[in-house]
Amino acid sequence: MTLDWSVVWQHRDALALGTATTFLLTIATMAIAVPCGIAVAILRLYGWAPARALATGYVELFRNLPLILVVYWAFYVLPILTGLGLSPLATGLAALSLNVTAYNAETFRAGINSIRRGQVEAAMALGMSRAQALRRVVVPQALRRILPVLASTWVSLFKDTSLVSVIAVTELAYVSMQVRAQTFRVLEMLTAMAALYWLLGYPQAKLVDWIQRRFEVHE
Amino acid sequence: MIAADAAGSAPARAERPKAAGPAVIRYLDVVKRYGAFTALDGVSLDVHAGEVVCLIGPSGSGKSTMLRCTNGLEMLDAGDIEFEGMRLARDERGLRSMRRRMGMVFQNFELFPHLTALQNVAEGPRTVLRMASAEADRRAQAMLVKVGLADKAPNFPSALSGGQQQRVAIARALAMEPDVMLFDEPTSALDPETIGEVLSVMKALAEEGMTMVVVTHEMSFARRVGDWVAVFDAGRIVEEGPPRQIFDAPTTERTRDFLGHLGWTG
Amino acid sequence: MDFDFTVIADNWRFLAYGVRISVLLSVVSGLTSLVTGLIVALLRLYGPRGVRMVVVLYIDSMRAIPVLVVLVWTFFALPIVTGMTMSPFMAALIGLTVHLAAYAAEIFRAGIESVRAGQTRAALALGMSRAQILRRIVLPQAVVRMLPAFGSLLSVTIKDTAIASVIAVPDLMRQSETVAGQSFQPIEVYTFAMLMYFVMLFPVTRGVDRIYRRIAHLGRS
Repeated sequence: MTLDWSVVWQHRDALALGTATTFLLTIATMAIAVPCGIAVAILRLYGWAPARALATGYVELFRNLPLILVVYWAFYVLPILTGLGLSPLATGLAALSLNVTAYNAETFRAGINSIRRGQVEAAMALGMSRAQALRRVVVPQALRRILPVLASTWVSLFKDTSLVSVIAVTELAYVSMQVRAQTFRVLEMLTAMAALYWLLGYPQAKLVDWIQRRFEVHE
Repeated sequence: MIAADAAGSAPARAERPKAAGPAVIRYLDVVKRYGAFTALDGVSLDVHAGEVVCLIGPSGSGKSTMLRCTNGLEMLDAGDIEFEGMRLARDERGLRSMRRRMGMVFQNFELFPHLTALQNVAEGPRTVLRMASAEADRRAQAMLVKVGLADKAPNFPSALSGGQQQRVAIARALAMEPDVMLFDEPTSALDPETIGEVLSVMKALAEEGMTMVVVTHEMSFARRVGDWVAVFDAGRIVEEGPPRQIFDAPTTERTRDFLGHLGWTG
Repeated sequence: MDFDFTVIADNWRFLAYGVRISVLLSVVSGLTSLVTGLIVALLRLYGPRGVRMVVVLYIDSMRAIPVLVVLVWTFFALPIVTGMTMSPFMAALIGLTVHLAAYAAEIFRAGIESVRAGQTRAALALGMSRAQILRRIVLPQAVVRMLPAFGSLLSVTIKDTAIASVIAVPDLMRQSETVAGQSFQPIEVYTFAMLMYFVMLFPVTRGVDRIYRRIAHLGRS
């Protein structure tokens, strides 16, 4: 068994592109999924019954589906539904956004609900409107509980971007496996792929630990 | 139903000097139910300007519910509450403007943990009264001085003792310059050592002429500072009168039982 | 745009086989990762320093590397290293276990640590051995707290088995891909797959929520 690790270095440009795409997908998905998650959470908490039901249905649906299946389904259904020919990247982004929005909505809802009723009552007793109480009293406190979970979701998302490789999006996993197919250097490329994810993901995981320690809520 | 008579007859009025003034709050046959449970079963009571009215009675007798209905945190099922001559609003906006004129102090203080003491007290004026920051802070500082906590202004609630937190909560309510202060068991969650400092603040407020409705288990406070005491039991007022009557010569068996259980020997 | 769901009926047996494989893989890898996770957790809590460091490295690495990467490496690269060939199912089982055991270990650790101090002291005062304490005092209490987290992990396990389709395990995902490709009716087939996965997962997440609600009453404010 002869190993040739130089293939990794030779294809460093492609791997760099893959890494950049992975980051791009992660950032873009979060940029969409955070505001959308907030919107869905608010619908679920304060909307009228049909809006609440719709929001709840959406969240329950995507919490109970494997992401890889959503990716495939998006690939075949979205072009028909929207009438547009979406690139694999856009499709992947759509699938990831749908998925992460649902999780974020649950995170925001739980965060807001975790604030004691008494806090809202104290705010209203002062004469604040519900909106003011939310903005000035509930949200600042809820953020402390939400941030660690959001950080954890970010890291999961970073790993989940690897799943859009199945629809040929040129992120890190896809690129690595392409190079493997071209060079037949299976062990080297797959190990390099794992090592790259490790190098990128490990610090992120440690950062999440730090955030969780820092924002730990002492009741 | 005894209550309605006591407020109107002449002998009672002699013992209720402040009843000569206007009624700030009138509870008129108030009914509040939670499902099958009736928390308030037709309660009537008047609170006059400058009076300290104490609501006492066993747990679950409806006292706290009464208070929470007063500023609309709970909605009535029947009857009315009049505040400063007007019926309590049913819509949010109307309730909000009425709440500005009522201050409420909670058993669990409910200070906002992400704000300092000063910011807590300034929050009402800033957000609700739309005061400028500097002015709100000035008023907040003055209120903290009033409750004796000027030096704690930059501290967060987590760094304050229970008694200190409750005094900040009182300052927070006072900063709105309310016409009436509602106290919901203000000392029930406090260590014995810190109860005194809170009661002192409340006594000083009373002496300044603030109209107060106080739900409390502190009988000595009710006896010494109260102008009028209403005894609750199972959602009704079983007796009301001046402290001297309630504590020294109660006229109903219920009241005697309740005070006896508390070990009240005067 | 008309849909013809008879393609599902026509390929029913093929797809049902996929469901069986998905369930089998979920259950077996769930069990193996549970057992492995417990061992790893105990090593982390009670092992010598060197072992503890290795274990921590392993756990944190699994938080950084995607399941897909682990599965692909196990199926394609591991045989090169060990010289053994393995079936896709076996590779998936090994890969999933290695990945999920890290999460299971963290759940065990958190659960055990949440019980440790006073209870352990009381049991020690009675003269119990560490092993007895763990078995009779700590674990039984920890189990209650860990139940919701394990429920979530089960949910994740089922979803991760779908990724095994990438290394040609004939699970529901893979079978659906095949039928979709052959019949040119991907929408109907994938919609059916979504329905099946939802039916498998919904009771698990619902159950977790319900247990969590009951647990949350015990001792939290």
